[in-house]
Amino acid sequence: MKKWFLLFSTVLLIMALSACSSESGSNSGAEGNSNTDSITAWAWDPLFNVAALELAEKQYTQENKDFNLKIIENAQSDIVQKLNTGLSSGTMNGMPNIVLIEDYRAQSFLKSYPNAFYDMSDYINEEDFADYKIPPTSLGGKQYGVPFDTGVTGLYVRTDYLEEAGYTPEDLTNITWEEFIEIGKDITKKTGKKMISLNPNEPDHLRFMVQTAGEWFTGEDGTTANIGDNEAVKNAMRVYKEMLEEDIAHINTDWSSRIASFNSGEVVTVATGNWMTPSIKAEESQSGKWKVVPVPKLSVEGAKNASNLGGSSFYVLNIPGKEKAAEFLADTFGNDVELYQKLVSEIGAIGTYLPALEGEAFNQKDEFFGGQKVTTDFVNWMREIPRVNYGMHTYAAMDILTGELQNYRTGKKLEEVLNDAQKQAEAQLN
Amino acid sequence: MNKLKLFSTYFILSIATLVSLFPFLWMLISMTNKSVDVSNGRLLPGTHLIENLKSLFENYNVGSALYNSFFIAIVATILCLIVSSLAGYGFEIYRSKGKDIVFNILLLSLMIPFAALMVPLFRFFGGVSQTIPFLGINTLFAVILPYVTTAFFVFLFRQNTKMFTRELIEAGRIDGLSELGIFIHIYMPSMKNTFAAAGIISFMNNWNNFLWPLVILQSPDVQTIPLLISNLGSGYSPDFGIIYTAIVIGTIPTALVFFFLQKYFVEGMSGSVKG
Repeated sequence: MKKWFLLFSTVLLIMALSACSSESGSNSGAEGNSNTDSITAWAWDPLFNVAALELAEKQYTQENKDFNLKIIENAQSDIVQKLNTGLSSGTMNGMPNIVLIEDYRAQSFLKSYPNAFYDMSDYINEEDFADYKIPPTSLGGKQYGVPFDTGVTGLYVRTDYLEEAGYTPEDLTNITWEEFIEIGKDITKKTGKKMISLNPNEPDHLRFMVQTAGEWFTGEDGTTANIGDNEAVKNAMRVYKEMLEEDIAHINTDWSSRIASFNSGEVVTVATGNWMTPSIKAEESQSGKWKVVPVPKLSVEGAKNASNLGGSSFYVLNIPGKEKAAEFLADTFGNDVELYQKLVSEIGAIGTYLPALEGEAFNQKDEFFGGQKVTTDFVNWMREIPRVNYGMHTYAAMDILTGELQNYRTGKKLEEVLNDAQKQAEAQLN
Repeated sequence: MNKLKLFSTYFILSIATLVSLFPFLWMLISMTNKSVDVSNGRLLPGTHLIENLKSLFENYNVGSALYNSFFIAIVATILCLIVSSLAGYGFEIYRSKGKDIVFNILLLSLMIPFAALMVPLFRFFGGVSQTIPFLGINTLFAVILPYVTTAFFVFLFRQNTKMFTRELIEAGRIDGLSELGIFIHIYMPSMKNTFAAAGIISFMNNWNNFLWPLVILQSPDVQTIPLLISNLGSGYSPDFGIIYTAIVIGTIPTALVFFFLQKYFVEGMSGSVKG
């Protein structure tokens, strides 16, 4: 036993020593925030946001040779967790200079940690960006976020199934959700394919449905619950339930089964944000069979056939190195027209910087979509997206509505559903 | 009748086995398939294993993540065994007025969820970073230190020490062993089942630990395997084949540790001590 103990202690000692030496090596890089020469950025998705930052760095370092950006890739939920822990502990230690935050969550960060973010008003011109991006990224008249990608929605349709049932993509263009259901019933009957794939436990369709009407689950102030008397929410819930009841919906249970629903050809349409394009194109055998048309709207006055799902923006933290980080963002995502061309042609990311949303890269025909100029169309729809304030509680409100949606499906009256949701929201959100 | 009983027992057991093994089977099959096939629910082994492995190792620093995970799990386990066995032994063997009160307070700490400790701990390590950088935020030691001992392990050792024959200690003292000598030469050999059980639990906890490493580790070079896997799913179009490949790699060590120490584990948890 003595031998074992000795062996253990030796192993421990060796590991401790080797760690100390490797630690001192890695530490110099890790102190990105105190060492202002190197700027750290947190982002998710290596093929999209991280790739976009890398492109921006490449452009920027052509003129600023000593600039060094360290991009750290984390899952979005992980970034939220890390930011919340770090910021609420009050030590800015270990925080990055630049962080990507989803627009739905931005207001809660800006309001909860008032001095944590750096005011970008002097660096970028907010009028240069798509109108709908401004309310989530600003607070109290100050522009904090540098708007990045758009989550502009579209209705991806399978032209071959439509043809089989005697329809064309034009029949689905600029329609309401009621018309969508009517056509859907017919197509499902004729082709045996479901019209759309839904996940009732994660009804994110409700979000962009409601935004087509320029409404949200919270009021203008971003905190007051706005569900009980909200025609848009009412309409969206009714439509959602009807799609499930009329049996035109394929039910998915998680992200991978949602992707499978269209990769395997089980559904006729996919209504979602433009970032779904790579997943749709992943099934190469379906090339030429897809088209994209504007997303259906709610039959509420003033509703538009344009909406948004997701999308995020860059923020600078109020720590040493902030000026450098702000200049970098301002010179790239806030100014560089050429960068936006590359973002489209190289990674398929559509930005929201209006002066840069035309040119050759935006006019490419996409053979996968039967030669449609998909990017041009998305950009045009993006300009139409109704401006709403996502407020502080998007996901909390969605959780409440998800629960109430189940009650609604099992027979509870819609008025009661909405009133109860309103009450819950008033009790929870403040 | 007996045969029927036997048959139904085995029938139910086979179903239970199938149900509990299916996730592993799914994991192993999926690592050989393309992402599209995985999301389409393909249940047959594919031919994409080499590509998955290649792109995983080329694009992600799996080697360093494995090293970090092993380092954290091994060092934390060894420290945990040393500290909590000494504590459990001391609590049970030595007499002291306030020891039961202290022990009960210690047990109360089991009731505090980690989420509640996270922010204060982060703040604490933020302070540590200023003075002792190699123990602060973004270091492997910051991951290890909060897990060096928990009330659970002290409790486990104390409970098992209750069955340790005290006469052996007396005998050791008469033979002139020091107190530490008694611990090392008499207590440790006769408690090896408990050590093995505690070792497995600690190794697995530390290997699979996610939340604390997530918040305290910032840069990719100190990333652990669970963090790496979490990152793999960070994209809008994740590659499921690669994710499953990484999950298999991350599962192998805990599976091996468990298989090798399984015998001791069962005995250690049931608290038996061979005389």
